[in-house]
Amino acid sequence: MGLRGYLVKRLLNTVVLVIFVIILNFVIFELLPGPNGAIANLTGRAKGNPQAIHNLQLQLGLCQSFDSNGKCIPPSLWSKFFVYFQNMLTFNFGQSQQTGNSVLHDMIGTGRLWNTLELLGTATAISLIVGILLGVVVAARRGGVFDSTMVTVSLTTFSLPTFFMGLLLILVFALYLPWFPSGGVTPSTWLLGTPPLLQQILTRIRYLFLPALTLTLFFYGGNLLLTRATMGEALTEDYITTARAKGLPERTVLFKHALRNASLPIVTNAALAFGGILGGAIITETVFNWDGLGLWLYNAIYWHDFPVLQAMFYIIALCVIGANLVSDIVYGMIDPRIKYE
Amino acid sequence: MFLLLMFVVMAAAAPLLTPYRPTGNAVSANYDPPTWITLINGPVGYSQNAQFSALSVNMSSSGLATIPTKTGNSVALDFAGSSPGGTVQITETLSYPYQGSPKQIIGDAMILIPGSGALNKSFNVTAYVNRIGVSRFLFWSPTTINKTGTYNPSPAINSGNPAFNSQLGIGQQFSAANYVFAAEKANYQYVLTISVPAGFSGRINVSSFDLNLFGNTWGIFGTDDAGHDIFTQVVYGARLSLEVGLVATGIGIGLGLLIGLMAGYLGKIVDEVLMRTTDMLLVIPFLPLLIVLVATIGPSLIYIILLIGFFSWMGFARVIRSQVLSLRERPFIEAAKASGAGTGYITVRHIFPNIVSLTYVNLALTVPASIVTEAALSFLGLGDPTVITWGSMLGAANSVGATVSNLAWWWILPPGLSIALISLAFILLGYAMDELFNPRLRRRR
Repeated sequence: MGLRGYLVKRLLNTVVLVIFVIILNFVIFELLPGPNGAIANLTGRAKGNPQAIHNLQLQLGLCQSFDSNGKCIPPSLWSKFFVYFQNMLTFNFGQSQQTGNSVLHDMIGTGRLWNTLELLGTATAISLIVGILLGVVVAARRGGVFDSTMVTVSLTTFSLPTFFMGLLLILVFALYLPWFPSGGVTPSTWLLGTPPLLQQILTRIRYLFLPALTLTLFFYGGNLLLTRATMGEALTEDYITTARAKGLPERTVLFKHALRNASLPIVTNAALAFGGILGGAIITETVFNWDGLGLWLYNAIYWHDFPVLQAMFYIIALCVIGANLVSDIVYGMIDPRIKYE
Repeated sequence: MFLLLMFVVMAAAAPLLTPYRPTGNAVSANYDPPTWITLINGPVGYSQNAQFSALSVNMSSSGLATIPTKTGNSVALDFAGSSPGGTVQITETLSYPYQGSPKQIIGDAMILIPGSGALNKSFNVTAYVNRIGVSRFLFWSPTTINKTGTYNPSPAINSGNPAFNSQLGIGQQFSAANYVFAAEKANYQYVLTISVPAGFSGRINVSSFDLNLFGNTWGIFGTDDAGHDIFTQVVYGARLSLEVGLVATGIGIGLGLLIGLMAGYLGKIVDEVLMRTTDMLLVIPFLPLLIVLVATIGPSLIYIILLIGFFSWMGFARVIRSQVLSLRERPFIEAAKASGAGTGYITVRHIFPNIVSLTYVNLALTVPASIVTEAALSFLGLGDPTVITWGSMLGAANSVGATVSNLAWWWILPPGLSIALISLAFILLGYAMDELFNPRLRRRR
């Protein structure tokens, strides 16, 4: 089987996964007892007006139609699932129970998606760069004081849960040393009028700093340890000895010869860790009141906003599945040794 | 290892270590930092809880009344009717030892006129606090009592009660506790005066005669926003965390072993189905899935433990499967098979002993993951609302700390460091076991 066959197989796998996620979501939100109660609560809001209740029940898909006595005829499970499946594929998530707007609008139109991407992107990029750079340095001086210090430090930051790390950073850098704001994305005064562009950027960076630092501190450790391990292996290979014997500068040997060959697992891991990063982002956004998807999810839990919850789970799962697919494809293309089984 | 032992002991001995309950009554004022802060900042400005002594009774003339019963905060007075009249002073004393004002004062004084000994005349009652030699603070304005019933100071004696400030004649921006109890060592009396006219007869019961001073520091870890003891919460939290970690991991390991063994040993179609399912579940983001599940099913510790356990077997199952796959081809299994051993026998007697070490290592690494996951759920407000865990403590500290000045370090550090230390302890244990059991690593050392 060639590269094409491999890709087709991966793609099929992904499609199966997406269907699996939709089924899972359907099972969680349609068949478990909780949300039905919540929908009943919602219809309870239109109490006293049978027509309003009927309309809501129709709209929510609780009833297919009504018989002559006005009794609800629920749709069959299969037709329910079919409608649900269609809605999921077309990103039609219904209305948020908090705001009454469409879920998709609340997700994208309010800038939440952008805020989350800003935070995630910054943290992922920095933790990758820092983790890999430090990992290379540490691997080059394996066994030294710097090595053991860095390993201990990264193990420690790795074992501190993000919510604790975030609170600590707020405590130190927002309360005792008031250098950074303790939460939010932008100052509330911006609602009245925004300052000039340069100042806007600087202020946004100030607001971004602590949450991004929290996420970075949580994720650079894994990258560092992985880089250290793979680099350690690569540095024992013959071609490194050859490169050194040629008289190449140590930096070239490390970054051009060793890191390049050691980078494959790092790339894969970055994609696989994406799910964890998203989980960390939910918590970090809650701690820092960062108005992104994570805080939205948190509020949805509080409001029992099930349409938002199911949309968020679906989107997060799609992102993770997508990241996995990308890493599989990249892996297949850059590693000539891979067997397309 | 020592750390782990410490937490286990802490969890087991929780009721011995602390007399309070995690969600019981307030033990002191809210947001009290730990008492040992005075060791760093000096004693000036800090106080602890204090209580007035047991009461003593003084009469203006001896034999004014007889005292049938008396306890630390209650006394019964019988007036015979032949007395010349006068006053009875019921006094509690306090030698205030701190150089800071209390944060809150709560007190009471209850007078009960029982129905049986109806009064023939009315009498007056008043209560005040006396800073000896300095000034007097009226806590209960003189009140005339002439019939059966229960009487309490009005407004209630509570420094959190605005009407009480008015009673003392100070503005609402001031603290009654600061006003009455100055930030210095001094002697105080809490006095209830009963003045009876000549010829008065009847029974007067005085009870709940207390004045409690809540200091502005408390205990080892201080108090939370409702005045609960944080040390108690941390200690009981250790119990819950270990419970969550061990039970959830037990479930996860059991499932992982079962599925890994089945996939590895039975092979073929079973393997294919199980491993594809495992792969799919591995890709699903774990925390969001748990969040939606707990949000729909409802927060309860049992569900949370079960769910965490049920979603933590995948990685382990794959490890077990690959180990079993390699074991299956070894000669000693072939030999067992050749001598007629059945699948179950081979699995239990030959394969299982060879993967036990893996189980230990995985146990040590999954427990902290489960603990942190539970803490994260509790932090997000999805924890069991009836119990207090380390995660829910941090969540509460975060949500009331929305105005950052309320963020209390003594409320954040103890549970947070506990989570971190217990995770670290288990991870180190895992590494140690790995070195012990993993032949590859053993050879390298």
